[in-house]
Amino acid sequence: MSAPTTTAPAAPPSPSGRRRGAAAAAPPRGRRRTPLLLLLPAAVVMIPLVAYPIYQLGLLSVLNFGQAQASGGVPTSFVGLGNYRKILSDGQFWSVLSQTLGFAAFCVVATLAVGATLAVLLTRVGRVPRLVLTTAAMAAWAAPAMTGSTVWSFLFDTNLGLVNKTLVGIGLDGFHEFNWFYDKWTAFLIVGAVVVWHSFPFVMVTLYAGIRAIPAEVLEAAALDGANTWTTFRRITAPMLRPILTIVVIQSVIWDFKVFTQIYVMTEGGGIAGQNLVLNVYAYQKAFASSQYGLGAAIGVIMLLVLVIPTVLYIRSLRRTGNEL
Amino acid sequence: MNARSRWRLGANTTALLVAVVTAFPIFWMVLSAFKPKGEVQSLDPRPWTAHPTLESFRQVLSVDGFGRYFVNSLVIALSVVVLSALVVFLAAVAVTRFRFRFRTTIMVMFLIAQMIPVEALTIPLFFMFRDAGRFAPGIGLNTLASLILVQLAFSLPFGIWMMRGFVAAVPVSIEEAAQIDGASRTRILWTVLLPLVAPGLAATSVFSFIAAWNDFVFAKTFIISATENQTLPSALLVFFKPDENDWGGIMAASTLMTVPVLIFFIAVQRKLVSGLAGAVKD
Amino acid sequence: MRIVRRTTAAAVLAATCLAAAACSPGTAVPAGEKAADDKSGTLQVWLYNEAGNAAKEAVVAKAVTEFQSAHQGVTVNVSYIDTDASARAAKMKGAFNDPSSAPDLVEFGNTDLPGYVAAGGLAEIGADLDKWADKGDLDPAIAKTAVLDGKTYGLPWWVGVRALYYRTDLFTEAGLAAPTSYDELVAATRKIHAAHSDTFGIAIGGKYTFGALPFVWDAGGDIAAKDGDKFKAAINSAASQTGVKRYTDLFDEAGCPAQQCADLTGGKTVDLFAAGKAAMAILPNSSRSKVDAGAAKDKYAVVPLPGAKAGSIAPAFAGGNNLGVMKAAKHRTLAVQFAQLLAGPGYQEQMYDAMGNLPTLKSVNAKVAAKDAFLKPFTDTIAAGTRFVPLDQAWAQIDAQAVIPTMLQQVVTGKADVAKASGDAATQITSAFAAR
Repeated sequence: MSAPTTTAPAAPPSPSGRRRGAAAAAPPRGRRRTPLLLLLPAAVVMIPLVAYPIYQLGLLSVLNFGQAQASGGVPTSFVGLGNYRKILSDGQFWSVLSQTLGFAAFCVVATLAVGATLAVLLTRVGRVPRLVLTTAAMAAWAAPAMTGSTVWSFLFDTNLGLVNKTLVGIGLDGFHEFNWFYDKWTAFLIVGAVVVWHSFPFVMVTLYAGIRAIPAEVLEAAALDGANTWTTFRRITAPMLRPILTIVVIQSVIWDFKVFTQIYVMTEGGGIAGQNLVLNVYAYQKAFASSQYGLGAAIGVIMLLVLVIPTVLYIRSLRRTGNEL
Repeated sequence: MNARSRWRLGANTTALLVAVVTAFPIFWMVLSAFKPKGEVQSLDPRPWTAHPTLESFRQVLSVDGFGRYFVNSLVIALSVVVLSALVVFLAAVAVTRFRFRFRTTIMVMFLIAQMIPVEALTIPLFFMFRDAGRFAPGIGLNTLASLILVQLAFSLPFGIWMMRGFVAAVPVSIEEAAQIDGASRTRILWTVLLPLVAPGLAATSVFSFIAAWNDFVFAKTFIISATENQTLPSALLVFFKPDENDWGGIMAASTLMTVPVLIFFIAVQRKLVSGLAGAVKD
Repeated sequence: MRIVRRTTAAAVLAATCLAAAACSPGTAVPAGEKAADDKSGTLQVWLYNEAGNAAKEAVVAKAVTEFQSAHQGVTVNVSYIDTDASARAAKMKGAFNDPSSAPDLVEFGNTDLPGYVAAGGLAEIGADLDKWADKGDLDPAIAKTAVLDGKTYGLPWWVGVRALYYRTDLFTEAGLAAPTSYDELVAATRKIHAAHSDTFGIAIGGKYTFGALPFVWDAGGDIAAKDGDKFKAAINSAASQTGVKRYTDLFDEAGCPAQQCADLTGGKTVDLFAAGKAAMAILPNSSRSKVDAGAAKDKYAVVPLPGAKAGSIAPAFAGGNNLGVMKAAKHRTLAVQFAQLLAGPGYQEQMYDAMGNLPTLKSVNAKVAAKDAFLKPFTDTIAAGTRFVPLDQAWAQIDAQAVIPTMLQQVVTGKADVAKASGDAATQITSAFAAR
């Protein structure tokens, strides 16, 4: 994987201190080794446990490798791009891919909108409501995906669910034994709600902390200058939150693109006739559940590329505008 | 009542309403765990129960070795939290305080590492731990150490990304002052920088704790014959049978799985908010 | 141009690695046919952790005690493994990939057999079973489910077949007798639903593969047919389509409305019938206790599922579990002996009493049927001839990819007609067989 390092100095950092940070001063000889020493523990853990398996993933993706090859003594054969061809020529893959992108986009936008709105709300409320809301959000955050999905399924259960019961109770008879997972879109809506429920607390707490960290004097000065709320937000709050927003957005995209448990548990493996499949569940059904590791690895690599390409482009554009990772 | 206080009242009410909606599924989970069996499966669900019972909890706690699995999960999660915090701290210092070749590449690698579907890596990891076990039985398959190591590895990329902001938020001048006072660089790292970024470490540890506590992908892959080394989630999976909705048992198991995480959250909550706030001052 | 250079370097490295065995993915060397055969020590056994497992554990514990007192110096260690499909698969794959973690004896679903054999996991035990006193007593159709390419890899422990449960009160009220043909079954759903609009004529599900297959088999169709030594998809044959249509036609207002039933599994249909929500259901005999715990208690009876021809019985799927000896077993002889004890007449009968699973030995079957009239429709169904899924590791893939449920659900929800849905299914089935 060659990330864009074209602007990295080929020679050791020049002593002119062209960048901020401790390295601005001319680094003494030993200094150059220091970052590598500091990274050593991470490298010791990650090279064998993350990098090497990723390399193996790439290797598996060009092999015909299943359980019979892993333990049955059947020889492994090189199939070149065969696994990729198989997936890319599967009509279902493309519909699942676009579905995944749409669903992830929906979840990311909804999570950010809910999280940001509540973060702003938190700055405007009293101590007690703030504590109550933060604690409730922590509870949602703490709930494992498995249990969260199960509880929500129970609430929306066709026969035993409280939601249908309540809706009928307030006069909406159409919801008597209404199956929320029969229609593709209502099913996605409920699962999306659960994803947002699980992930908005992170956004809310992070952004709230971010807003609080903006020095009061800055905001007061803006108010004295006659700036209205919107201008203050656009000119001061948003730019100061940008670094943290970047992290929140990137992480949300990664997480929501890889969503598995919520879909798998709530739609029982991808919904009626596979209507709610997303890539991760598709990979599981198509390959891993039947031990086709080569095929599964190819899907994994494709998923990786789908995420890596926009990331690299984004980082390039950051660099072009003089910003840094 | 003037406009301002009316506004405030509206905001407070909204916050409380949102809190109720957010916490409701958790409340329902705990409530269903305390309901008698007949009432949970009832076609007429009620948001209270007149006959709370420990029946479902007793059923879950009667899983053979429950205590053992609970301790295993706790050992794994806490080890990962501590080790991950240390490694993340050092690596974050490296990528924020120093410029060196491949720095950006390394940061991108940390992102990429998070993009891989974990299921896809279990097979290569399985064979690696199996082979490692031949040389060092202590970290081979079927051991808690294998789970700690793999969870540690997968907690690092996100942790380093998060921690970067926290380290960057500490003014370089503080370190420089210490340096002028004659402190060695190692000393500065541990006695000056570490305490300053501790809240940030608390924030990142929340993530490593949750990931390690909730995992069952690796637990079910690596723990094959040593049943005594099972973790809680993989043991409680017994109750999640798609075909037999023993909702009482499922809810009690879910409650028992969620509570420790919640306790951990509440323990670090204060630090979490102030820690996250620190990251923004970059 | 550093990027180019580095990419080239990576490519060269990858190419070198492809050539060198050192970088290839890990594999496990399959244990030789001559597995280790210690006559003492600890015999490791994995059995399924099922609903109501305490009763099973009690029976197995008795067998363990008996076995240990007959074999001095032997300890039997039984672990009950999670039956959740993915957890179970992970466990078994682990045992295949790391032979040192493998147990000696395992219980496994009979449809898993071809995959496990291909994985090099199971030892051939045909010769051992030939010497077993009770071998002749095994039901031949069921014994066949443990045989692949002429070699025996398992000892059938129990079977479960499905039959038609129906509500006697509703049928009497409507003036109906138990259906003896598909047409009578359809008529019954109409008549009962007309009188009780809130009751489903029959509880079935879009994910209930083994509820649907009898209709396909009865119509003369199949999932795949053997063509020489290769399987060929047959789910889109005219006969199969007739069967699929018969099953999916039941998902109407009177039978089981699509909105409610399209996503049901077999297990969920038990709940519906037990709750008194449905007039009929296609359930195994082991569902009895669950039905008795619900509103339908004492208001139902069971008959074999009728075929299209009046008086015929639709062939049932012979689902069940085998006991198999792992290739990597360290106590091969002991494992076979313990399997023979568990699957022997004494413990088969006790297992029936504890779990309600049907015995695989004909003599025991006759015995339990005589003592329990409830079993008659099930033993009649077995006697009429049972069927099985293709004995090939492709089945694991067809099952994992939910090919049959997807086909049923497409028809039931009106996303596709029978011809299109079964055609799509046939394409996937064909590709699964071709995958190897």
